[in-house]
Amino acid sequence: MRVSHTAVIERNGRFDTHFATEPYEAGWAGEARWFLRVASATGMWVVQTEISPDGHHWCPHGEAVRFDAPGLYTVGVTQFGGWLRLAAHPEQGEAHLHAQVYLTLKE
Amino acid sequence: MTIELARYNPLRRVLSYDDFDRGVNGWCELCGNHDGDLDTVRPSFGDLRPPQLSTVPFFDIGSHGAMTGTYALKLATRPRAGHTACLIKRLTLADEALVQFETYFAAKPEARQGNGVYADRGWDGNEDPSEYDLGAFTLSNDIGRFDGSRYHCALRYQNTSVDGRLVQGWYYKTSLQPTTKMQLVGQIPNGDFHTLSDDDWQPVPGGQGPLCFNEVPTKVNWHYLRWQVDTKAGRNVELQVNDRVMDLRDIDVPVYPHPYTGLRGLFNLLLDVRTHRDVRNFLFLDSCVISADW
Repeated sequence: MRVSHTAVIERNGRFDTHFATEPYEAGWAGEARWFLRVASATGMWVVQTEISPDGHHWCPHGEAVRFDAPGLYTVGVTQFGGWLRLAAHPEQGEAHLHAQVYLTLKE
Repeated sequence: MTIELARYNPLRRVLSYDDFDRGVNGWCELCGNHDGDLDTVRPSFGDLRPPQLSTVPFFDIGSHGAMTGTYALKLATRPRAGHTACLIKRLTLADEALVQFETYFAAKPEARQGNGVYADRGWDGNEDPSEYDLGAFTLSNDIGRFDGSRYHCALRYQNTSVDGRLVQGWYYKTSLQPTTKMQLVGQIPNGDFHTLSDDDWQPVPGGQGPLCFNEVPTKVNWHYLRWQVDTKAGRNVELQVNDRVMDLRDIDVPVYPHPYTGLRGLFNLLLDVRTHRDVRNFLFLDSCVISADW
């Protein structure tokens, strides 16, 4: 039986500027997938997976996702090492984001 | 007895042996009650962070590993003073009887990196300034008796006070855990979710003294812990942490003045860690055993 797990990394989160989610250890997982359930968004937002060797220092990994409206957005991640987080920023100007961030992991 | 259980002292019926090389074993994030709208979750219950399966890694040595095997269960706070991470395991009572929780654990603050990052306290090569970065961790339960009454036992290792002094001892709580029902009639807590106030903790007799911190935040030494509760009497019985055995039988446990519906035979176990500085705090569990004498 393959181990799998769903973590709510941000629950009912509200943001108006750039942010990164808390570092999350996922070295046991062979694949990961972010889901962003966006309840409301103003402005164009860009979210990007980041990976790290130590949970302190981060670099981008994989494709970025852009959105400017409510909806469900997703991106898959592989070959990520031991740590994952999601970084997000508004492309320009005033923006607001109300979203739930899920990380689903599978062995 | 299997070799895995040989390092534990369970009561006669083992309810669960949670080896975190095999997943989170039912230790899930605690989230407060709501009516379907997450805006109705009380703030103190809104962001208690998901479990992590951890190789106990550090920037200087890489993965530490668990006491046995590769993975430990990790609770991690945000790097924000006053933030708490909490996991819960939800069971029910097959009888009102003795129940015991055992684990091998380690509690550490996140390491700071760089030249002079601990300059606020200095470093003499013995007492490590990072020891002041570890706040507190707490064992607690939530029990619904067969007659409908409800209580929580809570035992906290307070490493530092909320204002940052080194305290290093075990404490028990003296007030009820604020409920949604209590807050709806105007009782607003000023502490974390356990008590009405951060002042509502008293020292456990014989519970004062440090754990083995081991000098720096990137060394992990596993501690044995055994906590026994008598769910028939509604009392703590005993807490053992390595060589220290604390008799808890005379400690008062606050009971709600009215019954709660839907909780008959509830038996929840909770673990949490709280930071008192803008530094992440971690609680690691190698494994744990829950046993009962029914």
